[in-house]
Order: sequence, then C-alpha cells, then structure tokens
Amino acid sequence: MTVPETLPKKLGTTAEWIEKGGVHWIDPSPLSTRELCMEMNVAQARFITITAYQLPKDEGIRLEYHWDLDGQLLGFPFLLKNDSPETSKIESIFDLCEAVDWIEREIHEEYNIEFTGREYEPLLLRAGDTLGVNLREEVKK
Amino acid sequence: MSYKIPMGPYHPALEEPYKLDMICEGETVIDAKLHIGFNFRGIEHLAETRNYIQVIALMERVCGICSNIHTLTLCQAMEGLTGQTPPPRAKYIRVIMAELERLHSHVLWAGIASKLMGFKTMFMTCFEIREKIMDVLAAISGNRVNYSMNRIGGVNRDIDDPAAILKMIEQLEGEMMKTVIPIFTTSSTARSRCAGIGVLTHEKAISCGVVGPTARAAGLAQDLRRAAPYAAYSELEFDVPVEQAGDVRARLFVRALEIIESCKILRQALTKLPPGEINTGEQKIVFTTGTATSRVEAPRGEVIYSVSWKENARNPSRVHVRTPTYVNMPAVRWMVKGARLADTPLIQASIDPCYSCTDR
Repeated sequence: MTVPETLPKKLGTTAEWIEKGGVHWIDPSPLSTRELCMEMNVAQARFITITAYQLPKDEGIRLEYHWDLDGQLLGFPFLLKNDSPETSKIESIFDLCEAVDWIEREIHEEYNIEFTGREYEPLLLRAGDTLGVNLREEVKK
Repeated sequence: MSYKIPMGPYHPALEEPYKLDMICEGETVIDAKLHIGFNFRGIEHLAETRNYIQVIALMERVCGICSNIHTLTLCQAMEGLTGQTPPPRAKYIRVIMAELERLHSHVLWAGIASKLMGFKTMFMTCFEIREKIMDVLAAISGNRVNYSMNRIGGVNRDIDDPAAILKMIEQLEGEMMKTVIPIFTTSSTARSRCAGIGVLTHEKAISCGVVGPTARAAGLAQDLRRAAPYAAYSELEFDVPVEQAGDVRARLFVRALEIIESCKILRQALTKLPPGEINTGEQKIVFTTGTATSRVEAPRGEVIYSVSWKENARNPSRVHVRTPTYVNMPAVRWMVKGARLADTPLIQASIDPCYSCTDR
C-alpha cells in the first residue's frame, strides 16, 4: 500500500483520493491547514505551492495546497468566504513549512487574504500599491 | 560592528534586477534578506484576458531562456482540459526541444559562472557553444529564443531531417566533452573558487523545498522526468546526477553531468523519432469546465502550471505559474550566511536564478 493510499486514514477522513486534471485530490476537512501541514511533514512530502482562485459571484476564494509525495502531485482544497475581511483569513503554515513563505506573501498581496500568525514583508508589490490589485475582482474593479 | 551591504537591484553580478541586502561583520556575511518584484509584469492577470492561442504566446514570454518549457507545461495542462492527446512524434519533438533548451540554459549558466569566477576564457568558450545550440534550435523552429513550438495537441513544426540535427548534436557534444565538462569537473581554478562555498545542507534543502540542480547538488534525487514522466521521457534511458556536498562546486558538477545526460537523451530521441503526425490537427478546441495542473522538469527545476477554464469561455479564468527560481531563491539566504562577501556574487548565481520567471 502506497503512502497516498494510507494518507486519508492518517488525515482522519473517510474520503477517497480523486485523480483529476493531473492532481490527486482529497477533501482535507475537518483538518486545518496547520494539521494538514504537520501530516505532510510526517509523510516527508515536499511542499510545492498554493494556488488561489476567486470563484464566481460570492462563492469565495479557493486555496489549493499542493505537495509532492514520491512523484505524485497531491491537492488539498480550502474554501474561504470573501463576504468580509474577517472571513478572508486562514492560518499560516510558515512556521511549520519554510517553503511556503513567498507564496503566502504573494497570495496576501494578490488576493488580500490574511494568513494569520505571521508577519509580512512586501514581495511583488511596491510602496503605495493596494492589496488585491492584481487578481481580486472587487479591488480590480 | 555589523553593516549592511546591498547587492542590487542593479549590479554587475546580476543578470536581472533583484536585491540582496547582506548584513556583514568584517568580510563575513552573517545574514541576508532578499527583495524581488522589480520585474513584476502581472502576467497571471494578463493571462485571464487572452484566448487559448494568445495565452501560449504570452506564457512563452515569462522567461527568455526556458520559454519552451513554459509553453510545454501550459499546453500539457490545457490538453488535460480539452481531451487532446499529442501523437507520439510530437511527444518526442517536445523532448528534443526541452533537452536542447536544457543544454542552452546550462551552458549559458556555465558561461556566467565562469565570468563570476574570473575565468573569462571559459566564459567566451561557453558562449561560443551556446551560439551553436541556438543554431540547432533555430534549425528546428526557425527561432533562436521564443520557439513557438508547442500547441494544444502537439507541436507546430516537424523535424524533417533528424539525421542532420543528430550530426549537429554530436559535434556539439564533442566540443563540450573537450572543454566545458573537463574544465568544470577537474580544473583547479573551478575547484578553488567553488569548493566549500555557498553550502546548502541536505536538511535545509528539504525544508526550503528547493528543486532542480540546486536540490540534486544537496543530495535530493528528485527529477520529474524520472519521478513523474511526461512527453516521451518514460521511453528514454538516462541517469539523474546527484551530488552530496551542497556547495557551488556540487551545483557546477550536477549541471556538467546533466549536459552529458541531455546529449544522451537527444541521441536516443532523434534516433527513435517515430513517424506520424505532429499534432492532432484539431481546428476547434473545446474546453471543459475545470482545473488541470501540469509539471515539468525545466533546466532550473520543477515548473508547475495550474489552469482553470469554464466551458464556452474565451479566456482562462485562472493561470497560476510556480517557477523553480521562486522556490530556490529563498535558499540563497542560507547559502550566503557565513560566506565571504567576495563569494556572494558566485553563490547567488549558482542557483541559476531567473528573476523574470520569479516575478512574472
């Protein structure tokens, strides 16, 4: 049995992996991003990136966390509501996974999402630029 | 007393603008901070305003050195959303272009590294060889930089005379085996300037999640061509060079050995090039709603594209690009810690950074 097959049990979920679009997906709920990251660290998976999508209308923002495990691309989606600044928040995993630093900072700048529990320094935006100016629909308009 | 020395955003050691603020005590760097964003062009945002033909041309311009890799990764992701499968010949042509680009990138890097070592004769030799690799790329694609080879469902141009290309590759290989490879692997100049400096430990390489030659020089045997083969790599034999030292010399060594492996792959691919079509010939591309992700092993390491599309939409709803330098760059902070200030230009260059890729 390969690690991805045993992972759902470790994650405490009954859901199964779904292979779609080149990624092995699983719904990580009820795990938080931090709990998931700890499990990935134990499995010695390599963090790849977080992809953020703004869903249509007011459906929110989807954050897809990707790790590589023995050449398999794993994907874990998290949904954030974007009805207020308070709901556009998610726990940072920076202290658990150093590799996440720049992508958390980038998503913070592109989508105005708050990764709680960490400090930011500017990455791509320069002084005077508005958070979310590039990819957050409400700000772009 | 400590003091801050900035390197960049404009500096003779940097090919492109970025800034490394180094805190020094005497000649020793005790910490460093990186600043990027000087090349930020908002390409991911622009991609949302382009159709499936235009977005390929746009993404080819993310990087001037590995332009082919960007379109290959993007097209593979879009093929996942359109159900197009490239014919076998197209897959081999994609491998040939990708390996020629790896040769081009590694030799270019070797030239720049030579210049930073103070080994200017070698710089000239590397750039002479690089010109010849670009001649091969131009013979196949008609272009020296942005090759426009990839499309959804295959490639745009065929290799009509593989034997002629093979002859050019063999000549190039002969030149590299006489110059670049022995000099970088055995010369005392390269050894004295590179051994033991800019060390990235195996543990730090894992925690930073570095990729490509930077990872392989720190003992991580990761290569997507082997671990998650795409195009025709599963049908070709090659080794993945790995070094343990994690220093600049190990990165030099890995790239030199990868040049030999790329030549080996090119010989096999050109010899085994299957007959048939070079693309599906589909005139009307229909996208299904969803997200597709593709990864390839670029010269500098793993590139990942995540593409989202809605059925009947003209443009993608999201294109996310994660380039290798984006994950390798933060590790420079750990490489320069404890290094002599005079070594830092070579150390930062040893990851073969690409800031236009990083900033997008």
